[in-house]
Amino acid sequence: MPGTGRWLRPLTAELAAPAEVVGAKALGLAMLMRLGLPVPPAWVVTSEACRSYLAAGRWPDGLRAELAAAVRDLEAPTVSVRSGASVSMPGMMDTVLDVARGGVAPAVETVFASWKAPRAWTYRELHGISHDLGTAVVVQAMIHGDRDEHSGSGVVFSRNPNTGEPVAYGDVLFTRPGTDVVSGTAPTLPIESLADREPGVWAELTGALALVEREYRDTCYLEFTYCSGELWLLQARRGRYRGAAGIRVAVDLADEGVLDRSGALCRVSATDLDAARVARMDAAGSRVVARGVGASAGVAAGRIATTSESAVSMRGPVVLIRPETSPHDVRGLAASVGVVTATGGPASHAAVVARAMGRPAVVGVAGLAVSDAGIELPSGERLAAGTVVTIDGGSGEVALGEAPILTGPAGDHLGRLLGWADEVSGRSGGTDVQRLAAAHAVLRPGD
Amino acid sequence: MATTNLLVLHTLRCGGYASVSRLAATTGQTESEVESDLIDLGVEGLVTRVDGSWGLTEAGRAADTERVAAELESAGARSMVNRALKRFLALNPELLDLSAAWQLRPVEGASVLNDHSDAEYDARVLTLFENLDRRVAPILAELSEALPRFSRYRIRLAEALQRAGEGELAYVADGTASYHAVWAELHEDLLVTLGMPRWTR
Repeated sequence: MPGTGRWLRPLTAELAAPAEVVGAKALGLAMLMRLGLPVPPAWVVTSEACRSYLAAGRWPDGLRAELAAAVRDLEAPTVSVRSGASVSMPGMMDTVLDVARGGVAPAVETVFASWKAPRAWTYRELHGISHDLGTAVVVQAMIHGDRDEHSGSGVVFSRNPNTGEPVAYGDVLFTRPGTDVVSGTAPTLPIESLADREPGVWAELTGALALVEREYRDTCYLEFTYCSGELWLLQARRGRYRGAAGIRVAVDLADEGVLDRSGALCRVSATDLDAARVARMDAAGSRVVARGVGASAGVAAGRIATTSESAVSMRGPVVLIRPETSPHDVRGLAASVGVVTATGGPASHAAVVARAMGRPAVVGVAGLAVSDAGIELPSGERLAAGTVVTIDGGSGEVALGEAPILTGPAGDHLGRLLGWADEVSGRSGGTDVQRLAAAHAVLRPGD
Repeated sequence: MATTNLLVLHTLRCGGYASVSRLAATTGQTESEVESDLIDLGVEGLVTRVDGSWGLTEAGRAADTERVAAELESAGARSMVNRALKRFLALNPELLDLSAAWQLRPVEGASVLNDHSDAEYDARVLTLFENLDRRVAPILAELSEALPRFSRYRIRLAEALQRAGEGELAYVADGTASYHAVWAELHEDLLVTLGMPRWTR
């Protein structure tokens, strides 16, 4: 393998450069390699190359040659070209997949240029991120999740991000590329379906989740593709769960010996205690029939209305279910207890209007079809208009019938955590927030 | 007559059900002018009144589609509106990002409902709305030159921003006169004007 050049670094377990140079994505992949986990071969174009490109408006001297050598070294028919900045800018930057050798330089330029896109600029202004950082670019051998029937792609959390329950949670698509999972264009299956279909891949994946959790001393998130039965990991991130899930994870990690009790207390904030009080659906006691993106927290149950007109005229609580919403649906939304849409993300029209009205919202339920008569679920099951459903705008789950509701973390996790807080502070009584703050005052004086 | 009350008809098409006072505010007409238009439109069977709100009938939708298409052809503006839609769609994700950022504030790495207690944060978001507004302005200027009814959006967006800046925070993303709502109507209007479906499924 060629050595380190001026603008490119080989992705290896030994990669030891600051995130400002190689980006958070590459460092996550290097960590996976250190743990002995399978990562497709890759090179990293440094953010210094991007900065030079942005400043001069042309390719830095030598980058083209270095890039060509790196691509030859990968010995892959096609590569993926992905941004990887030192700070997270979800959805703002371009990714180019399945690039043949001759197209790699233009693809890298596309990713560089996406740093300057007005939307990315606005995002950085909003989040106080410097415009001068630039992005690193990971050029990686392309793994095909659509190669054969023993191929597929998915995303997985090591624990349920809504509840903190210690079971893998995520989505998988068989015989499909990873973009279809992340973009929400195709209906996915729950990650457990991998266990039956590809037990070998499943065992390897759950093993990887355990290893990465131990490394982070926290929950983790992995993106993966498997090709002809062989698993490859494409991205790793720390989970950093909040609210009820964060409280449960902190307590469980202390019980598992990963954190001590002080560490668990420091993971939880007053914001988490507040968030944990928002009502959630008890998914364990419900029949969850669809999953989308939770866009406005809270639980609502009502009869399905698929047009704004019917939402207004139906009696009793209704849940408005639409392909997406437009200004016409504002009246229907106002007449509903909650809204579900087939498309869109947390900033879609439906999400913004639902939050403004304080209604729970689930958006982006891929594969959901809506007609005047009712809805067809991603599973193919049909529900007629008028059928009662419950939606959880935090977890993004839709359940049949009236589902049970939870407030606060399930079980005794919060009670135990506050007990530990009292032991640390030597006090007891007061509100939950006061008890936690008293412990923090001892553990983190000066905060 | 068809041309004078097109504004009211088309406002109902793009904004959905509305009261007389909202129609007056949206179209820039007096309430009695709006009422007179509504009576004419009602006689034609194009509008209907439900619980104090006016909306379009199926015939009203069809009539609007026809009249707006005729207006577009006679102004010879189809290719310009097509370009305007493209430019608008490039800005649309930013409007949505900003509206979400107005409602949800990052605190300790988590997204929490913005309680508007952080004036510095709110000011930063509003400044970005103003920046976006300066970029949508030339699109609206070009649209208004060929189709004068689009000038109402310039006025309504500016008013929403001004009131938000003066502390009426609901004018950002709450309610039908908010920046977000006016923007969504503009989006709808561009699609309707070009006869394009909002979704294809």
